[in-house]
Amino acid sequence: MGDGSMTDAPRPDVGAWRLDAEHAPLAQGLVVSAFAHLPEGCALLLTLPERSGGAWLASLRAVRPITPALGKADLGAAIAFTVSGLQAMGLDDAALRSFSTPFQEGMHQIDRKRRLSDLPKLGTVVDGGPAWSANVPDANPDPTDPTPTTTPATVHAILLLYAADSPALAATEKAALACLEGAGVRLARRIELSLRFDGENRAREHFGFADGMSQPVPFGGPIVTRDGAPFPEDKLHGVPAGEVLIGHVNAHGEPAQGPIVLADERSAMLRADAAPEGFRNLGLDGSYLVVRELRQDVASFWASMDRAAETLSGNHQGAEWLASKVVGRTLDGDVLVPGGALSPVDGQPRNDFTFLATDRHGLGCPLGSHIRRANPRDGLAPNDAAGPDLLAAAQNHRMLRRGRKYGPAIADPRHDDGAERGLLFMCINTDIARQFEFVQQTWMLNTSFATLLDETDPLMGPAGRFTIPTDPLRSRPSVATFIHFAGGEYFFLPSLPALDYLQALPAPSS
Amino acid sequence: MQSIRSVILELQPESVAQVRVRITALEQQQKELETAYSALASALPLLHFMSITVFPDAQYDPVLVIEANFDGAPGPFWQQFERAFGEELRAVLRCGKAPRDGRAALFQAVTRAGSRAPMAQLLEALSVAPIVGHQGNRGLDRARIVADGAAFTAVQAILDRGDVPPGTAPADLHRLLRAQLQAEFGLDRQAPPRIPPAESLADYARLAIFVLLLVVVALLPGTLLGMALLPHRGFGLHLLIGVGVMAALLAGLLAWVRTLEQGDPAQDAPPRDEAALRAMARREDRITQNHMGSIVHIKPGVLRAMLLPVALTVLSLYLRVSARDGYLSSMRTIHFAHWALVSNRSRLMFFSNFDGSWESYLDDFIEKAHTGLTLAWTSGIGFPPTRYLVQDGASQGRKFKAWARHSMAESLFWYSGYKGYTVNQIERQARVADGLRAASLDPGKAAAWAMDL
Repeated sequence: MGDGSMTDAPRPDVGAWRLDAEHAPLAQGLVVSAFAHLPEGCALLLTLPERSGGAWLASLRAVRPITPALGKADLGAAIAFTVSGLQAMGLDDAALRSFSTPFQEGMHQIDRKRRLSDLPKLGTVVDGGPAWSANVPDANPDPTDPTPTTTPATVHAILLLYAADSPALAATEKAALACLEGAGVRLARRIELSLRFDGENRAREHFGFADGMSQPVPFGGPIVTRDGAPFPEDKLHGVPAGEVLIGHVNAHGEPAQGPIVLADERSAMLRADAAPEGFRNLGLDGSYLVVRELRQDVASFWASMDRAAETLSGNHQGAEWLASKVVGRTLDGDVLVPGGALSPVDGQPRNDFTFLATDRHGLGCPLGSHIRRANPRDGLAPNDAAGPDLLAAAQNHRMLRRGRKYGPAIADPRHDDGAERGLLFMCINTDIARQFEFVQQTWMLNTSFATLLDETDPLMGPAGRFTIPTDPLRSRPSVATFIHFAGGEYFFLPSLPALDYLQALPAPSS
Repeated sequence: MQSIRSVILELQPESVAQVRVRITALEQQQKELETAYSALASALPLLHFMSITVFPDAQYDPVLVIEANFDGAPGPFWQQFERAFGEELRAVLRCGKAPRDGRAALFQAVTRAGSRAPMAQLLEALSVAPIVGHQGNRGLDRARIVADGAAFTAVQAILDRGDVPPGTAPADLHRLLRAQLQAEFGLDRQAPPRIPPAESLADYARLAIFVLLLVVVALLPGTLLGMALLPHRGFGLHLLIGVGVMAALLAGLLAWVRTLEQGDPAQDAPPRDEAALRAMARREDRITQNHMGSIVHIKPGVLRAMLLPVALTVLSLYLRVSARDGYLSSMRTIHFAHWALVSNRSRLMFFSNFDGSWESYLDDFIEKAHTGLTLAWTSGIGFPPTRYLVQDGASQGRKFKAWARHSMAESLFWYSGYKGYTVNQIERQARVADGLRAASLDPGKAAAWAMDL
């Protein structure tokens, strides 16, 4: 299914990575594919009735089956659940406690908000605070911290639908919603997703940059080539299968941990692989899905670039130049190097670069630019000898990105039309703390990333300085905040057998 | 020269709650000052990092630990410490159990009702030195770190004002900045060497002597045996026998270690105390630096008892010569860290003041420096299985993190003398300030120097 997808570019020799015949029917298609052949989509954020049990899921799947990782289909559907959703469905406490801590606590737990820089005082959160979350009750609240941790909308599940065109999407969505409504499931929020390829078949995010350039490439375990052979390890982007799929060997050399349930007649459809004796693996072939609604203010972005560019010396350094420095790539996605950008190969931006050899000091791609913070590759190595180690270390913090933009394209990027638009950031990882949270906290929004001081990601972070290394002397323009966190949560993306288990849950008694 | 010391005091179990309240109140007082911690910053000018922790334990009564990382010798520091905390410190000390050894009289004198006896001597007597210590910014005293930081900030302010014409050559830039800042930052005074030659020599000498001693001790049995059995043959042959026996002994020792390791139980899933975990989480990630305090029990047995101090001493001496620029392998995020043997060598204590989140710190170890860490903690009860003392262990990321977190206690009081700076940043600031102290820089040096601005 990965073939032709936006994010998982096929290799000429072996095609895109995929799951073997044993696991492909079990995992959700979203794991292996961003459904790039289905450019229209929507995210339906659902609120379950109290003590819903699993019956609603069974009726939904009868109407709109969840897509397995088998191959291209005309429609795509994926579903994932928050901890409060699983609770409403009646998953027992022992099983809930076997999920990872970040998932159990939720994205809005007070200490986590601080770690993720989701604090209103930083100016990186939408006015009025995020609109949605799982609203996980805090068993141990901090009486000294007044930051609100609840949101107006409570989200229990996310249903992602993908189709080739708008009518097809509308039809499948209508059917799904009718079924959900019948089961008492409310639609808390609907986010229309789009790829909207440009003339050159490139997906661009709202600021205008080609997006989705770099993805980890899983190998090992059930990951195979199109011919069914073990998928070769990619030198720069290879990650063990367990980094994206629970129950398979991860970067720490053990099966990625996930939720387990008692081995009884109700869990007969689940396998026991990597589960302790007496249990079955509810997480096997599933993953965690991180979802963040990031609102983008396009006019404010370009206004900020215009303003900051004026403060820079030299007359060639316009807003577009500065914006590309902020991102670290040109608008077309080519990574900046000293003196210019890497030329594309076969029309595709190159992704086989490292920083140490070509751009140690960030004279092309600034040390604190968005892509260098998102994946520093070997760029944090103190010397050449440490390069391979640092590259390997950085690989332990990768995740499969499955985000799409939402909202209409802006007609004039320098004129605010008042429309809401942005990115529904979605990523798949098995260790939320070591993968998503690490990248967010230790790289993206770290005020002391590399040797920088008092600045964060110029694209996503709060307003502040942005260092552009230049020979002989750096410049340090001020950039504003133009991306705001509007809602988000950690979801469990179950395998299809796990969905079978969940949908058989009886409604809990009061 | 910086010192690392930790005051260790067993507490009267009934008084633990009171100690916690008193220490939390002390921290609160400092936090609520107009400039938080300013009173402590001026009262303890030698102090880099300090923490006060109460470690609960299933087998022992709780123990209070005051960890201090400071400039110079312990004597003057503990005197300043006493003045800074005054009678509140005495009230805390009174909650301790009186030592039953030679320190009993001193403890009694300090803690009896109405006592005004000085406390510094007792603090020093109660304190332990680390068996392994590490300073990221070796040889930089606090005053210099703070002053270099101020000079760096002043440079940034000048550059950000746009006062420097574009295209200024680095050497000219250096001249210009130096002229502007010379008087304010006393740039004519050269900074002393970070590691004086004598100290440097001593580092190498200590390592060499220790290794030599180990070799001699290992050679001795075989050589003596050779001399006894073949008294008329040359010393060369005796030495050869010594080498042979040493090799056999080493092989035997390794086999013994491996046998122990294969039988060592591990604790994959230590019990989780949610309230304690939350109390720690609440304190973490407030600033760019974080703190970790841990105590673990040491595995029993004569081999462990012999091996652990030797292994830690080798690690310590090796770090003194190999990690002078702050890098442990390729990670440089530790300001001050140390291991110390406590409780009659039955427990191993670890403290670290580091940059970034706890998760990222542990990931750094797991990914980049797990060998040394495994060597140091392989004797800890419950530590993930190791092979030959240095393999596996900490590289089993999830288990290691769970084990390490379980060994920690909430840092009730934590102070950093320069909380905005990472180790990397301090080095960068030192390079910039060192450059400014130079009367002039040649074009090559100036260009490299300007890259740090």
